[in-house]
Formats: sequence, C-alpha cells, structure tokens
Amino acid sequence: MNKDIVVKAHGVKKNYDNSYALNGIDLEVTSGQILGFLGPNGAGKSTFLQSVLGLINTEGNLEVLGLDPRKDRHKLLKEVCSITDVAVLPKWMTVDQILQYVDGVHPGFDLQKCHSILSKTNIKRSSQVKILSRGMVVQLHLSIVMAINARLLVLDEPTLGLDLVYRKEFYSQLIEDYYDGEKTILISTHQVEEIEGVLSDAVFMNQGRIVMQDSIESINKKFLELRPNRDSLERAKSLRPIHQRVELGREVLLFEDTEHEKLSDLGEVRPPFIADLFMAIMDKTKNGDNA
Amino acid sequence: MMTVLFTMIRKEIQEHKLAFIYAPFIVALVLCAVIISVYLGLTDIQTTNFSFSTDVYDEKYKEGMLLASPEAKTAVIRAGLVVLGLPILLTVGFGLLAYSLSTFADERKDRSLIFWRSLPVSDLTTVMSKLVFIVVVIPLLVLPNLILLQLVASLSVSIYFVSNDIVPFGYVWTSYFISDWFRIIFSLWAQALWSLPIFLWLMLSGTYFKKPVIGAVVPLVALVVLEGIIFKANNVQEFIENRLGFWSRADSFPIQYEEARVVDITDVYLMITTQAFWIGMIASAVLVAGIVFTRSTNNDFTVE
Repeated sequence: MNKDIVVKAHGVKKNYDNSYALNGIDLEVTSGQILGFLGPNGAGKSTFLQSVLGLINTEGNLEVLGLDPRKDRHKLLKEVCSITDVAVLPKWMTVDQILQYVDGVHPGFDLQKCHSILSKTNIKRSSQVKILSRGMVVQLHLSIVMAINARLLVLDEPTLGLDLVYRKEFYSQLIEDYYDGEKTILISTHQVEEIEGVLSDAVFMNQGRIVMQDSIESINKKFLELRPNRDSLERAKSLRPIHQRVELGREVLLFEDTEHEKLSDLGEVRPPFIADLFMAIMDKTKNGDNA
Repeated sequence: MMTVLFTMIRKEIQEHKLAFIYAPFIVALVLCAVIISVYLGLTDIQTTNFSFSTDVYDEKYKEGMLLASPEAKTAVIRAGLVVLGLPILLTVGFGLLAYSLSTFADERKDRSLIFWRSLPVSDLTTVMSKLVFIVVVIPLLVLPNLILLQLVASLSVSIYFVSNDIVPFGYVWTSYFISDWFRIIFSLWAQALWSLPIFLWLMLSGTYFKKPVIGAVVPLVALVVLEGIIFKANNVQEFIENRLGFWSRADSFPIQYEEARVVDITDVYLMITTQAFWIGMIASAVLVAGIVFTRSTNNDFTVE
C-alpha cells in the first residue's frame, strides 16, 4: 500500500549562537505513523518539531504535506494540529469562548464533535481556563485537537507536569478516539515508557542528530535483551553484546541482529524497553564519540 | 475571511471588555449621576481649576442666552455636550495605550501565543484584526456611552432651563442632536487613525522587549535627545505630541481649532488630505510589517 509522505527532511540544520540545535536531519515520515522523538534535553527534538510547525527557520530542505512550513505556515496549519506545551490555552477565556474562537478560525474544526468529547469529561463549558487543573487544560486542548480533521498531529511534551492518571488518559484517548490509521502523529516526550505501547516508530536524537530511527516492530526484531543465567554470562559476553548494564544486581546484555535461538539457551530473552534501548544507544554513541 | 476577522474581533472585545465596555460605561454612569444631582441642585462641584454648578446660570447668563442668536445657542449646547464626553474619551485613551502595550506582551507572558500560533491564522491577520479593533470597533463601543451621557445631560439641562426660563426646551434638542453622533463617530475613527503610529509602536514593543514599557519609551527618548543634539531639531518630539493629541488641534492641521467643537465630516476629509496624515499612514504600515515580522520570529517568551 502506498503511503503519502507527510514530512520530508533533508539536511535540516538550525544554528543557535554557533552551536547546532539541529545538525543535518534526514527523515521521512509517512501517513499513519506514530513517531516518537526520544532524546535527552538539548537533543533537538523540540527544535525539529517547531520547524515542522513553521515556527522557526531552518537551513536545508523541509517539506510538510508538500508545503514549506515556514512560508506556508498559515496554509499548513489547516492540516496540522499541535499541542506544543502544557497550559498554553489563554487563561482569561472560558471553555465556550475558546471553542467559539477555534470554530471561527479553523475550517476543519467540528464544534459538535468537540462538545461531545467534552461531555465525557468533568470540564464545564462555562468554566474559565484559569480555574481548570493542569490536567483538565491538557484534556481540553486534546479535545479541541481531536475535533479538528487534521492529517498531522504534533505533540511536544504534551503531558509534561501531569500526574500519572492524566498521562495515561491522554494517551489512551489519543489512540482510541483520535488515531484512525491514516493520521500521522509526531510525539516528543521524556516519559518514554508511557508512549512505548503507542508508537509505531522511534527516532533517537542526540546533539541535533538522529542517532537511530526504525519501526518498533523492526526494533523488536533487531534488538534483544538477555538476562543470562549465572553460568552463561561469559558465553553471552562472547556473543558481543552492544551494551551491558547491571539491573538489581543482575547483568543485562543487549544484542543487535543476534538470533533469538542463540540467546534463549543462555537465559531470559525479551525485546528491550525503548527507554533501555535508548540509554544503550546513547552510551554507544558517547563511547563511539570518545573512541 | 470575514468570519475569521469577526471571530478575532469578538475575542478582542471579550478579552478587553473591562477597558472598553465596563470602564467607559462606569465613567458615563458617574457623569450622569453628577449631572443629574447638579441640575437637581443636590450638589455643586467647585475646585480651584474646575467648577460644575448651576451657579453659572446667573442673571447675566440668562440675559445673554435670551439675546443670543439661535446659532450661538446651538453652538454653545453642542460644544457643551462634546466637552461632557471628554472624561470617557480620556478613559478609553488610557485604555488604548495600555491595550497597545500589553496585547502582544501578554500573549508572550502567559505563553498563549503558542496556542494562537497553532491555529491557521496568519500573523498579518492577527495584527490587522487588532488594528481594526482599535480604529473601527473601539469608537463604536464608546459611542453608546457618549449618547447615553448626552441624553441624560440634555434631559437634565432641558428641565433646568425650562424651569428657570433660560432657554426654551426645543433649543437643547437641536437638529444637530442625532447627526452629531455620526460626526462624533467619524471624528473618533479619524482620531484612531491619527494616533495609530503611537498604538502600533507600543504593540511592536510588546512583541519584542522583555520590558515593553521601557522598550517603548527608551528608544523614543533617545531619538528625541539625539535629534536635538545632532540636528538641533525636535521633529520626533512634535510628531509624538501631535499624535497623542486631538487631530483637529494638531500643528499640521490646516485650521487649528482652539475651542471644543463638533468637527464636521469635511474636517475629516481635510485631515486625510494632509501630508502629516499620510506620513502617519506610512509609519503605520512600516510598524505593522515590523510587528508581523517580530511576532512570527520572536520565540522569547520572557516578559516582565
């Protein structure tokens, strides 16, 4: 099945005060992907998402839905939604006023749908944003976004500062009620473990570069984590793991492109958590840089 | 496009109803209360600089009004009604200066700019909606308060004049009564256009500076001082003073009216034909471009 290219980046760079926040990003995102951008602070995740939304100028080639996001931001935002920070909804407005406003300026917004989504929450339409909790503000923002018929949704740390219940609700609502298999979602977050089950693809970033990108399915096939039996540790190490750590006093080895059968005799084998793989890749990158 | 503009202007009204709906209305109500109580003889306002009292209507005044021509009586009444509205206009004027300074600074401060920018509204449309709000909508919001004040004042004065044999009832309700409302609205629109460079300058400061008040004032003071030192001139200072004042009294206006009066539509036309007006329009266009550029590129949300 042919998938539309939603984001196409080639050699995208962003320079701030002689240091590169983005240093040659090459990336292609197709429709239906739920792509997670993972990386430490300063990796360039937010900068890249901002450039996708046309909020900052970048060097190189960047196309979003076939448009130049910087030049055609206004046109692009009819097809692209974003939640780029928590609690950015204007505090002085009531919920109804915000909905009226979005209804008036966004051709793809379905007011009835938004009312219906909100009716399942505790948010009153007459409430001012400033009296809502942070969780409710994000819930309101998500309800607005879900009522917009957009092709691309950009989420930059959407659940920052929220408690666990709201974070879980946010992602389950996103997947169950919003995602239809055709829409594309780009997510950047520090809470990797919470979006692990949501992602179709992951991009690991560090120091403005992409250090790894792949589908979750492929990652699960490619990487395996082994907790070797005590007597198999040396044999396991001889198979050249790409990373090694100690967890609760037990060695955990990460292998790349190693057959499951070879490892299963040596101990407990499973695909790595994205967060652990991310740490391993970062360590590997750092060691590679130091070497 | 019109729906978008209407929606954006409605948002401005909702956000700033305190400054442009409640504040002028409260001032109008206070003035109405003062007028009614003065003409009922309940109170007198006497200060060293200002007096508002029925004591002014002494025998000499009565005699003067009885002898005055109908045109002179009408002119006095029309001018009186205009002067009454000045406190409302000053309230809105200060509100406008505060609005201009804060409208783009506040959206940076509370980070709601991120939300506005996530919607398909161009920066130019946003700036133009605020410009239309200032020039067209705010005068329309102010006018009902002026009308209310004029009606209350005219009724109070009519009753007082008739009961004291100063002027017959019909003179107060001149043929200009309703048509002056149109003159006033045109005059307010003209005033907003005249002062537009000042409002836009304040807006520009709000889009860029961490401290918008200092950002708005310091460069202008510096310009005034530098112009004085280098060119021994004070064009910048005069420009600012003129734009902050009433357009009909500006230095560049061909006929400077010293007295308070209802301006005619022809005066507005005259203003549009002046070079100073077009200099203001060009300055405004440059400032609009500056605001659009700064709002779309400035990602610094620190505002103090």
